[in-house]
Amino acid sequence: MATIKIPEQKVILCGEYGVGKSSIFRRFTNNTFVTATDRKSTLGLDHYSKTYHVGDRDLKLQLWDTGGMERVASITSSYYKFAEAAVLVFALDNPASFHILSQHLLDIVTYAENAKIFLCGNKSDLLSDVPQITDTEIEAFCEQCHNLITGTYKTSCKTGEGVEEMFNDIASQLVQSNRSRLELQSMEQHGFKITPSEETTEDSCLC
Amino acid sequence: MDEEYDAIVLGTGLKECILSGMLSVSGKKVLHVDRNKYYGGESASICPLEELFSKFGAPAPDDSYGRGRDWNVDLIPKFLMANGQLVKLLIHTGVTRYLEFKSVEGSYVYKGGKISKVPVDQKEALASDLMGMFEKRRFRNFLIYVQDFQQEDPKTWKDFDPTTADMQALYDKFGLDKNTQDFTGHALALYRDDDYLKRPALETIKRIKLYSDSLARYGKSPYLYPMYGLGELPQGFARLSAIYGGTYMLDKPIDEIVIGEGGKVVGVRSGNEIAKCKQVYCDPTYVPDRVRKKGRVVRCICLMDHPIANTKDALSTQIIIPQKQVGRNSDIYVSVVSYTHQVAAKGWFIAMVSTTVETENPENEIKPGLELLGPVRQKFTSVSDYYEPTDEGLQSQIFISQSYDATTHFETTCLDVLDIFKRGTGEEFDFSKIKHELGDEEQ
Ligand SMILES: Cc1cc2nc3c(=O)[nH]c(=O)nc-3n(C[C@H](O)[C@H](O)[C@H](O)COP(=O)(O)OP(=O)(O)OC[C@H]3O[C@@H](n4cnc5c(N)ncnc54)[C@H](O)[C@@H]3O)c2cc1C
Ligand SMILES: Nc1nc2c(ncn2[C@@H]2O[C@H](COP(=O)(O)OP(=O)(O)O)[C@@H](O)[C@H]2O)c(=O)[nH]1
Ligand SMILES: [Mg+2]
Repeated sequence: MATIKIPEQKVILCGEYGVGKSSIFRRFTNNTFVTATDRKSTLGLDHYSKTYHVGDRDLKLQLWDTGGMERVASITSSYYKFAEAAVLVFALDNPASFHILSQHLLDIVTYAENAKIFLCGNKSDLLSDVPQITDTEIEAFCEQCHNLITGTYKTSCKTGEGVEEMFNDIASQLVQSNRSRLELQSMEQHGFKITPSEETTEDSCLC
Repeated sequence: MDEEYDAIVLGTGLKECILSGMLSVSGKKVLHVDRNKYYGGESASICPLEELFSKFGAPAPDDSYGRGRDWNVDLIPKFLMANGQLVKLLIHTGVTRYLEFKSVEGSYVYKGGKISKVPVDQKEALASDLMGMFEKRRFRNFLIYVQDFQQEDPKTWKDFDPTTADMQALYDKFGLDKNTQDFTGHALALYRDDDYLKRPALETIKRIKLYSDSLARYGKSPYLYPMYGLGELPQGFARLSAIYGGTYMLDKPIDEIVIGEGGKVVGVRSGNEIAKCKQVYCDPTYVPDRVRKKGRVVRCICLMDHPIANTKDALSTQIIIPQKQVGRNSDIYVSVVSYTHQVAAKGWFIAMVSTTVETENPENEIKPGLELLGPVRQKFTSVSDYYEPTDEGLQSQIFISQSYDATTHFETTCLDVLDIFKRGTGEEFDFSKIKHELGDEEQ
């Protein structure tokens, strides 16, 4: 037990069905891309952790995908619990996925009150000469939501552009905000995880 | 919705969510539907508080209750046994990673109008006011017997055959008095009535062992409670189902379960849409004509701004009022959770008093429990029926979960689920199908 535990932070992906959340997740886990909305490659995959180095600090980002629950139903509120960061994803070629962001934002602030929120415009490779969603619109949105958004990014899962940069930046933002927060956190509020026991059926005495 | 599935699961209560998860993991194509807009059905934790008040037709809560969304109020009281079936299921399925728990601080039992802590170790047993001096020694000998007991090793049975002799005989062997029998049977073995006395002692010995094994895991009491309420449990299993390919639909009324040749289910209809399937798994509310009423339950949710007296200000606790203490046939349960579990605003407590209905005046039946609470700021009482399926579902391929003999924990819940799974698929659930390594950090 001599290893130093690297702090781990839960990061969740949010946004409409089809904007590329699972593709971002796939880039994060094994740096691949598939064109079909083929769920097989992430079947059974729950979340995935990767270590980032920020200055003298190490931080693990633990990325969670929705499991496709948002397709017809809503995502369970427990998905948001204990999240330190949320990446709000929309597709740059799909204005509807952008205009509905405020709804997803509401879910995040309701169920993951303390999470830092990041905005990600995905599918940048599909950008035509006339952008469907302008930078001004994106800025306006960030202002509208009282600057709840800590960072905005543009990514393409197809080419891989911007994805690693985004997670690097998220990691460094979290390290910064944690410096102060970790000190404030009272251990008391925390529960524990249940783990398999080492089958010590011995000293299980009542008396 | 117009697709074909191996199984359609109706209702997102805990049992249905566990089943859905197990079916998806086993490679079945699953559609999971709920008529409500939220997950969990009756197992949901209600949030925000305003929702709870309006559910019971009460005027909105005032400012003293703090922020409404800091509340997550369970409709059904349950705790998890730390070494019990549900915890095993959570571990084996990996669903435990979605949850955090706290130990319940203490378990109390009611005797002669006041409550005493259920002794958890020798020191507490000796200090306990539940028993007199000599009784304590006898009780201690009894506990040692149970602790040393091994089913596989008849030498540990000490000239007593627990597979044939009943529990009363075992109590008598140790000379335990009625009061000690009462709290042993109801607060340790967690029986709700006294029928167990006439059944082979083995069953009760196992239950007491479960209690002490659970206690050994996290101290304080054998019970665990999840942060943010019990509603987190079904959601965790729903996620398991989703990441293994299960499709979720909420807010979808079910108008008909479509039956084909030989009385076998062929699909489920909502409006004009029909989803085809080979099997349906559901809770009793989706199939009123295939279940029978088994009894009634009264529950009272009490919001309080203080802990319960004589519990050392415990932030969570369970109190069992054994039936005989108050002249009843079934126990009354009081469970308390609080702000420390993120289920109430700072400083607030939620107590739930419940029991099986025995008379025409259920509210009156829970009075002994309510009297222990002290001042209550708001009270919501409800009486509900509980049901069991009329058949095993083998013909119709409609598998219905049952609300069988309630215990204070989830043991029966899990047994029912595993049994339904076996009936439905013809095999035991294979836990090795879960790709633990993939979700975990050790990459
Ligand atoms: C603190 C505490 C208090 C409890 N109070 C009671 C109680 O007063 N009486 C009791 O029998 N069980 C009580 N329970 C037991 C708990 O409700 C059972 O775990 C549950 O009823 C078992 O049903 P199930 O999960 O197998 O079925 P489910 O299908 O999950 O339950 C079906 C429905 O029936 C309800 N139900 C069935 N019988 C009873 C009943 N007699 N009382 C309350 N709810 C019942 C369930 O709660 C649920 O609403 C209590 C548990 C705890 C931890
Ligand atoms: N051209 C392009 N297609 C993408 C990109 N990201 C995702 N896609 C495609 O968009 C579709 C939906 O992606 P998916 O990750 O399943 O979205 P999710 O529903 O948000 O998880 C898939 O067909 C992907 O191949 C991208 O950056 N560029
Ligand atoms: Mg997806």
